[in-house]
Amino acid sequence: MTATLQNLHGNHACAMGAIAAGCRFFAGYPITPSSEIAERMSRELPLVGGTFVQMEDEIASIAAVLGASSGGIKSMTATSGPGFSLKQENIGLAAAAEIPCVIANVMRGGPSTGTPTRPAQGDIMQARWGSHGDRPVIALTPASVKEVYDQTIRAFNLSERYRTPVILLFDQVISHLLEPIQLADMASLELVDRQWATGSSAEFAPYASTESGVPPMPRPGDGYRTHTTGLTHGEDGFPSQEPTIVTQATQRLLDKIENHRDDIEAYECHDTDDAEVLVVAYGISARAARAAVREARAMGIAAGLFRPITVWPFPEDALKAAAANAKAILVPEMNAGQLRLEIERLCGSDVKVEGLNRIDGQPIDPAQVTQQIRELADK
Amino acid sequence: MSNMEIRFGGSGGQGLILSGRLLFQAFVDAGKHAAQSQSYEPTSRGGFCNADLVVSEGDVDYPLVSSIDYLVLLDQIGVAPSAAMIKPGALVLIDSRLVPAPPVGDFTLHQAPFTDEAIALGSHRAANVVALGSLVALSGICDRETVAAAVRAGTPKAFLDLNLVALQRGFEIADAMEAVDTIAKVVQL
Repeated sequence: MTATLQNLHGNHACAMGAIAAGCRFFAGYPITPSSEIAERMSRELPLVGGTFVQMEDEIASIAAVLGASSGGIKSMTATSGPGFSLKQENIGLAAAAEIPCVIANVMRGGPSTGTPTRPAQGDIMQARWGSHGDRPVIALTPASVKEVYDQTIRAFNLSERYRTPVILLFDQVISHLLEPIQLADMASLELVDRQWATGSSAEFAPYASTESGVPPMPRPGDGYRTHTTGLTHGEDGFPSQEPTIVTQATQRLLDKIENHRDDIEAYECHDTDDAEVLVVAYGISARAARAAVREARAMGIAAGLFRPITVWPFPEDALKAAAANAKAILVPEMNAGQLRLEIERLCGSDVKVEGLNRIDGQPIDPAQVTQQIRELADK
Repeated sequence: MSNMEIRFGGSGGQGLILSGRLLFQAFVDAGKHAAQSQSYEPTSRGGFCNADLVVSEGDVDYPLVSSIDYLVLLDQIGVAPSAAMIKPGALVLIDSRLVPAPPVGDFTLHQAPFTDEAIALGSHRAANVVALGSLVALSGICDRETVAAAVRAGTPKAFLDLNLVALQRGFEIADAMEAVDTIAKVVQL
């Protein structure tokens, strides 16, 4: 056993991943089932010179995170569905003003305060569309404790590289599961720090269209004039409703993600090459699906699993490749059928797409997935 | 990948989660892949509580139990939520005083007064570790020294001496069970 092998719960792995990624500010309001992220951060951050603030509510928490990040510190908050709803306005502001930050949402049953201690996957579409307007979104769906750790690090890297909020979506099962994980070797860990503005302050445009689509950020105190605003703004930061400027500004926000799909998309394929029944699943449901696909293969059914790790932007081309031989696609998820809509949009004209949905606060059992794979294979 | 599924079930406050974590650590130390989960409800002391393990030679696919191979029940309240998940041929250990109506089915049932044994050693709070010792000794799912090392590493200092004695007592109870097989072992079909 090496010194860096640790037994961690998913929530603690999220906190430890954040610390490894360089997060030095956390503001949050405890909420089941994510509270242990805040709890662990309150212990870990002071040890590395960071700051933990328990705020008065969910809205203030994300607001404090945007403030800290604007000040140059890698920052995050953690919440669950009800808090995620409250944070949407400021997530939109982070997208518009291009403020890097990470929001962990440990999903529970909804709507509203719903079922606090029960797992769910009901925030998939809220992560995509929860804040108004056309905006870029990166959302990651880890399926194990180790992956929570790794994807939290990656969330910070993507957030810094693309100056955008990144959302981590996992569920109560993963958040309280104990698994042994290998912590990162800090010496070889690739960490991304946002690009800071350099050069003449006289010519500085805080929202300039660079080749990557991501403008360097002015570091407070470096003397650059800037304007942090949710109003649509031109390259100089001044609000504008001039159609050309509005189009250019909004399109750049979308393009900086769209043009870097290769870097952002992550997914896993199990036995998809010849799969006739393809299962598309994420988070804890993907763990059930992986067991079910193994079982189905043992029965002689050509089943496969496509698991998006980046759920937004959805890995469209990879899914289509994985579904090349599929005669049916099954989408098990702990909601009434959210990701299924996206799979239907991408593949529905060629292949039958079915859901396997639970909204009773119970995780999907491998046997349920196996049963439905068998039924689809027999059709 | 065939999995081994283990549950400690009973009442909140009996140390079931600690038992689960100690055994989890023993499996990890033995090079196995393992995942441990527990009940997560707005109840605590006195309500149903369970600590579950899924152990595998390779990556654990699905980390929650659905077909239990080894079940330890320290309180009657643990029976109902677990009974339907007992795998045919499973090994079930119960506290003979606190589980007056044990589950019935196609499995091997062993009973011992784990809590009373712990009281005799100094505290009812060590019943979880007595039962852990008996489970390990009866099943052979991991070796005794590995679980003893996990108890040494994972027990709060104030309880360390007691827990090591309790573990040993659990081994002895199991060894005696084997010796008086027909008395201690109840097989119900």
